[in-house]
Amino acid sequence: MLKMNQINKVFRTEVVETHALRNFSLHVQEGEFVTITGPSGCGKTTFLNLAGLLETFTSGQYVLDGEDVSRLGDYQRAKVRNEKIGFIFQSFNLMPDLNLFDNVDVPLRYRGMRAAERKLRIEKALDSVGLLSRKNHLPSQLSGGQQQRVAIARALVGEPRFLLADEPTGNLDSNTASGVMELLHEINAAGTTIIMVTHDPSLATQSHRNVHILDGQVQSDNTNHVKAA
Amino acid sequence: MEIGPIYRALMRNRLGVILIAAQIAFTLTVIVNAVYIINDRGELMARPSGTDEANLFFINNIGYGDTYNEAVVSAEDLDMIRQLPGVTAATIINAIPVSGSGSSTGMATVAGRIEGVVPTAVYTVDEQALSTLGVELVAGRDFTATDVRYRNDSIARGDNEIIITVAMAEALFPGEGMQAVGRTIYDVNQNASVIIGLVARLQAPWPQSSFVENSMLIPEVYIDNSAIYLVRTEPGQRDRLMVEVEERLAASGHSRILRNNRSLEERRAESYRIDSAMSTILVAVIGTLMFITAMGIVGLAVFSINRRRKQIGTRRALGATRPDILRYFLLENLLISTVGVVAGAVLAIAFNLFLVQNFDMSRIDWYYAPAGMVVLLILGQLAVIGPAISATRISPALATRSI
Repeated sequence: MLKMNQINKVFRTEVVETHALRNFSLHVQEGEFVTITGPSGCGKTTFLNLAGLLETFTSGQYVLDGEDVSRLGDYQRAKVRNEKIGFIFQSFNLMPDLNLFDNVDVPLRYRGMRAAERKLRIEKALDSVGLLSRKNHLPSQLSGGQQQRVAIARALVGEPRFLLADEPTGNLDSNTASGVMELLHEINAAGTTIIMVTHDPSLATQSHRNVHILDGQVQSDNTNHVKAA
Repeated sequence: MEIGPIYRALMRNRLGVILIAAQIAFTLTVIVNAVYIINDRGELMARPSGTDEANLFFINNIGYGDTYNEAVVSAEDLDMIRQLPGVTAATIINAIPVSGSGSSTGMATVAGRIEGVVPTAVYTVDEQALSTLGVELVAGRDFTATDVRYRNDSIARGDNEIIITVAMAEALFPGEGMQAVGRTIYDVNQNASVIIGLVARLQAPWPQSSFVENSMLIPEVYIDNSAIYLVRTEPGQRDRLMVEVEERLAASGHSRILRNNRSLEERRAESYRIDSAMSTILVAVIGTLMFITAMGIVGLAVFSINRRRKQIGTRRALGATRPDILRYFLLENLLISTVGVVAGAVLAIAFNLFLVQNFDMSRIDWYYAPAGMVVLLILGQLAVIGPAISATRISPALATRSI
């Protein structure tokens, strides 16, 4: 599903070179639930950005779903993001001026899908996170947990091959976080590959694998013996 | 197309939208009416006087002293001028077309009738008037030397043979103007004038008057020590002859003052100076308003984009291409501008009706409002394109940053 081989990401300024990722290699199989952990500044977010094709890398090779995406142009990367990747962000990143229906609709609009099909998908996605009845509400009218559920619905509505989650429970209380994790496990159980960046060691144990990053490199890659879902 | 979500999002941030739409509406109201006024003035200024303006100049001659004899001097002067190389023709005339100064009267088809009197400019001229003015005789005949009468205050005007413009003939004889030659008309003193010729066009001295196309030429030279010599030259000779004629007149030894040695083009420009200045001011107002409106649109777009940088990054992360982002902001601007131009079109028409009712203006042509709408929609799109392009450069990686 995801193969990163010898990826390097260097940020350059006039005076400083920062190696965010060094010879970074990671293979994720289809259907896996992988957590990425590591201290602040270790390269987790850089990895997430590269895995999600949000940024380009300096050298190395990245194969996603059998396609080498290492040197795709901006337009093609946007299309791959739209069709194959679902994003869940720590601060939800919902559009405050759009109601839930329109928020979930955002990625589908960029796919050129017909309105009737979009409506079916949006309602199904909102229903799957238990918020269909509130489709006309604004994000500000929801709790943090509900907003993250909307963000999950938005990530799922395009039926992506894998989800990238950036600290999805970071802004939630423990009870709400637990509910979101249950939802992610259900999604994973249904066949969607998930890569989740987290600071929380307890969440790292709830995945199939935990990859620990330190100084831009994979320090450890452990299979968890606890069943993910 | 994202019209629905953009519209709903705009409705949740009404203030900025209303302000820009109101600015666009105000701008449209002003520019539609201003452009109409400019075009109206432009058409007014562009009307031909009927004369060969480019090759005409005139000079005022004012004699003084007991020995000064206007009849003799003007005959000598005209004879001298006509013999100068490069002069096509010259006449003595009481007023200059489109100069702002002249005399007028009213003419009727029935002696003593007050109703239906047609106002007209009066040009008193000698037999070279038509060839000097360069007007086109379309019916009848030109004046001859024997037609010309010389008179002063002691001799009443009396009956005349006259040449009038086709426009005046139509005003006197609706539908039969071209058959006016040979017919008699009467001035307010019931003097009879037989129409011996028609000229295609000769404007009155007052370009703003309602009867600017009505002119009457009388073969008469009025002797009062003051004369205007109108001179027509061959192309390219005017400026040289203006100097030469004045020098020769001054050197002739008669006691006189020479004034206002001017070309007709120059005099015409002076007559239309207020119209021209008004057009310039209105062009400046239009330019300023459009600039301010464009800056307002740019300001709102920049503010809106800066406020939504993370949203734009998120949209990019979710699959929006750069053209998608560009299209989003162009479409958003189009919606705001559309509200503005629709309101502006209504206001523009209402404002024009106000001007029609209160300032005797004519109604704007139907296409002014839609043309103004298109111009402002294009202006809006051009104004927003810069900020929108900058929005397309926002990295999708912004979505994962905690800002």
